[in-house]
Amino acid sequence: MQKLERLLNLTAVLLHTARPLPAGELRQKVPGYPESDVAFRRSFERDKDDLREMGVPIEVETVPGADPPVDGYRIPRDRYYLPDPGLEPDELAALQLAAAAIRIGDGTGREALWSLGGDRPTTTSAISAALPSDPNLGPLFEAVSTRSPVRFTYREQDRSIHPYRLGFQLGRWYLRGHDLDRDDVRVFRLDRIDGEVEVDAPGRFEIPDGERDGGELVADRWELGSEPPRVARLLVDADQAPIALAQFDPEDIVAEHPDGSIEVAITVTDPQAFRSLALSYLDHAEILEPAELRAELISWLERIAVGEETAP
Amino acid sequence: MSRPTAAEQVRRLLALVPWLAERSPVPVEEACERFGIDEKTLMRELGVLSMVGVPPYSPDTLIWVDTSDGMITLDLVEPFDRPLRLTYEQALDLVAAGRSIREVPGADSDDPLQRGLAKLADALGVDPQQVHVGLGEARDEMLDRLTHAVEHGKRVELDHYTSGRDERTVRRVDPFRLVADRGSWYLIGWCHRSEALRYFRVDRVAGVEVLDEDAADPPDDLEWERYVPGSDDPRVTLDLAPSARWVVEHHPYESAEELPDGRTRVTLAIGAPAWFERLLVVLGPDARIVAAPDELADLGARTARRILARYGAG
Repeated sequence: MQKLERLLNLTAVLLHTARPLPAGELRQKVPGYPESDVAFRRSFERDKDDLREMGVPIEVETVPGADPPVDGYRIPRDRYYLPDPGLEPDELAALQLAAAAIRIGDGTGREALWSLGGDRPTTTSAISAALPSDPNLGPLFEAVSTRSPVRFTYREQDRSIHPYRLGFQLGRWYLRGHDLDRDDVRVFRLDRIDGEVEVDAPGRFEIPDGERDGGELVADRWELGSEPPRVARLLVDADQAPIALAQFDPEDIVAEHPDGSIEVAITVTDPQAFRSLALSYLDHAEILEPAELRAELISWLERIAVGEETAP
Repeated sequence: MSRPTAAEQVRRLLALVPWLAERSPVPVEEACERFGIDEKTLMRELGVLSMVGVPPYSPDTLIWVDTSDGMITLDLVEPFDRPLRLTYEQALDLVAAGRSIREVPGADSDDPLQRGLAKLADALGVDPQQVHVGLGEARDEMLDRLTHAVEHGKRVELDHYTSGRDERTVRRVDPFRLVADRGSWYLIGWCHRSEALRYFRVDRVAGVEVLDEDAADPPDDLEWERYVPGSDDPRVTLDLAPSARWVVEHHPYESAEELPDGRTRVTLAIGAPAWFERLLVVLGPDARIVAAPDELADLGARTARRILARYGAG
């Protein structure tokens, strides 16, 4: 309880003051800090970290007129307060309902709704989803929103990125951005980033128009290879056609036969991924063309049929 | 329930104080429900508030709290008269939620959500177009009909392909909820054919007919659980080449260990034979069965021959 009281009083004092307050003065003004200098410092540093982590913007400035120079602290009111979004009741209710249905991790989004006012939603949604959380989601969304370059370690390599967009696809979070060392736009899986993302100062780059369309970040696996693109046609039997209709875009469906089977035409640059796709239909689908991909599938199956193994 | 940390309590109070001050007096019960805490916790935290303020901490600079007659009255709350700005993490949660619901066709037809989301994003300085949320592959038409059936409590007739057993069946289902998990949509409902609660993958639904019959009410304790291996499911041990290691990242397994030659030895519970057939033909020579019940030992070779027959190459 004592710590709770101290954190609230520290916040109140820092918000109330117009001038930056040095640590020594805060120690006098905020009740509940320990007596000894060392213990005070430790508590004060931890309090600042705790408050910053929950989004309280504590700023450090040099105290005017102090000699030698001393750090002072304050919370600028314009950065602390939530600007009123001016939500109508139906808009707030819709957001409440959405946040109740879809949440990331343990649901800080619902906590966010505390701050927006309104009452608890009275209806429940027909749908629900829990998206996995990731410790770098917050910092990366800040970087994307404020156009701040980021640095992180990815597959044991250091990357410097101008981050453009975040996306949740195929059950995972992805970041899309301009990789400065490779001078190319790349997509990164958040769960493969090692450790914490470092966020640089804001406003350092512009986001190209094509990167603000809200579309998908990751193409289908069979389009992610490096081989020359080939158009492949896959025949899917009638009883499995509904699955194909859910899996492929409507423009990929090139024929619907009277018996209910359908033909799909897709561009393939990763033949292995395409083989796995065809095999996910077991014997309910058939590669029609190109002939090489059909032949590769047959020889793959023949190796399995005779029990061949990859050498260790 | 774990004891809330001081940080959680501060966050809650920084939102609670302006909310209470704006509508004070507020019934205790209403405040508890709104912030998801019990009365004891609320009273304890309100007790702390009366010791919060700015120097010299005289009565006119401390928050004034009164909780008599089951009503909460708050005064002198400055500088906490307005809520704290949201963190980027909180903002992303709301944006992702708003973007996901729009992904569900028909879920937001008159669009107050999109208006609200746009206003909120503006106030927070974020752009919803920079966040894409794809909850799962499914046909709009199927999601639409099933959402409608759940919302109106109507029974459905489901033409469904059970991937694990490689068979298509028609069954009557009382639809309770649609759940998106790891890239797929599922319908949870009471299946009248198996007389049990079942999950149906929506991208395996070939057809939905919404019947003019009322469905039973969903159970109160409806919880989403991922596949849990049954104790009767056969176990299979595989050695995986390094290129097939993704199997342990993507599938629940019983045990996994690195072998000295770089392979991974993994033991899986096989709840559905067709699922295992797919895994074997996709992995091919990259997987070797080390231990399996007799009926599964040569499943890979048998499945490969069955598919080869289709290509006229068996």
